[in-house]
Amino acid sequence: MRLVKSVLAASCLWVTAVLADPPPGYPFVGFDAGLKTARADGKPIFLYFGRYGCAWCDHTNKQTFSDAKLKKLYSDNYVLVYVDAESGRRLTLPSGERITEAELGVRLQAFATPLFVYLTPQGDTIMQIPGFKTVQDFRDYDRYVRGGIYKQKTLLEFLGGKS
Amino acid sequence: MRAAALLLAVLAWPVQAAWVWSEPLVVNSVQGTAIFPHLESANRQGVAVSGDTVGVVWEDNRDGSPQCYLAIKPAVAVAFGPEMRLSQSDCYEPVVLALGQGRFVAAWEEAGKVRAQVLPGGVAIRLTEAESAQVTLAIRGDTLFAAWAGQAGQFRHIVVARLAMTGDTLSVKLAQPVERQPPTDEQGWPALAVADDGSVTVAWEDRRHKHTVPMVSHSRDGQTFTAPVRLTDHMSGSVDGLGAGTGAMRPTLAAWGDNGIVSVWLDKRDFLAGYDVYAAFDSGTRRFGGNVRVQDSFGDNMAQWHAQIVGNAQGRLVALWDDARDGTPDVWLADWNGEAFGDNVAVPAASGPGAQSDPVATLDATGLLHVVWLERDEQAGTRIRYARGERK
Repeated sequence: MRLVKSVLAASCLWVTAVLADPPPGYPFVGFDAGLKTARADGKPIFLYFGRYGCAWCDHTNKQTFSDAKLKKLYSDNYVLVYVDAESGRRLTLPSGERITEAELGVRLQAFATPLFVYLTPQGDTIMQIPGFKTVQDFRDYDRYVRGGIYKQKTLLEFLGGKS
Repeated sequence: MRAAALLLAVLAWPVQAAWVWSEPLVVNSVQGTAIFPHLESANRQGVAVSGDTVGVVWEDNRDGSPQCYLAIKPAVAVAFGPEMRLSQSDCYEPVVLALGQGRFVAAWEEAGKVRAQVLPGGVAIRLTEAESAQVTLAIRGDTLFAAWAGQAGQFRHIVVARLAMTGDTLSVKLAQPVERQPPTDEQGWPALAVADDGSVTVAWEDRRHKHTVPMVSHSRDGQTFTAPVRLTDHMSGSVDGLGAGTGAMRPTLAAWGDNGIVSVWLDKRDFLAGYDVYAAFDSGTRRFGGNVRVQDSFGDNMAQWHAQIVGNAQGRLVALWDDARDGTPDVWLADWNGEAFGDNVAVPAASGPGAQSDPVATLDATGLLHVVWLERDEQAGTRIRYARGERK
């Protein structure tokens, strides 16, 4: 148990040192580790594509991800992955291709940060959400993803009809 | 009458001047749906022309792990020869530089350390015993330089080395960080250029300001470097206490014209439209001037990627990148006309349906432009393609 705690503590330090700007206190991990965990646990992936020094990411972290209930909702139900839009750090896509974190932005056709990507446990993209979003927005996206509604409706259809 | 004809000819010149391209060739002999070639490298040095021989380097996973390869094509050959594997362990981001008379020097990261080798015939050497990556090369006359991002405590910093070459044997003569003090945040992706006067310019990505900013330094003697300054003239910062500033990344450099240096990089100062391509010029004063936007207005609302600048002593200067303004990624270029970058032109074989991206390029001594790019095809696998352009 002590060993596990030590590894977890070291992991947190590593996350602080290497990852750029994920919201504090959330258990974000790197892409490869997240994909492995998601496959093992059968949890969907919430990928935060941020940029070091990004003002809108900072705004989202402070206004939205500071919400304790949202933090619990996403920490409990998703594998949280942070990717730095300008990093040369390497990751391996579900296809087996090795690219850099910055190159993932090319593949996602990212034009602004933050960009939030919901993926299945196998790493298939469910949807991409760009820009600042509120606590309620993220609660709606959670219902859409974990409720499996994305299999029947577009996000617009779901949001237009939600009660 | 003669004057009128001359005037008409002058007016018509911009219309007539155009790139004429050779038939495109395939560089990589092995393709497949699970084989992923990459042309990424510091300063995007994936192609070089030595004498009349073209050399192309890349990384792919055909052998089950990422390895680096070199393929060459003599001018008289109609195709590239079988590629030569450069590495034994996991290899990333190879670069190649022409030494003349068909000889090259390649450098790459292998098993966490940067290496270099003269080709054909040389033996690979480690350039440093420290953890290192993102190596790049530059040469002026017989003087060969390398730069890389080397681990220095918690972060990487930029190291510049002068290499000695005896026959086909390389050695490191002098390697030193650009700055003596330890880095306070991450540095990486160096680009090197040596001007006519022998001065060395190095540019890199730097996070000391808590956002990514291309920084630049130069050395008159290749040993003592000036204090780094920003390449970008856009002094962004936090907005209402949020964030630290906009991002700019992957600077590239080229020696150009009479003692000039030019840089191009990806810049997110217009943060709603993805990265744009920006350039800055050093006319020989060893100071870069104001920034110039490279892509034209047709590419303005589109993210640009994989930008590079290539130049030659005769004053030709070409910027290349890829963007998807026509619906799918294509390779674009823009010529410098002395005052601005001209209309953007798609490389014919690297545009149209499908995805063509990740250009690397070089200008040879005669002004021919050699371009290599990736052509992605999920069914057939990714091909590395090559074409040569002549401005007529």
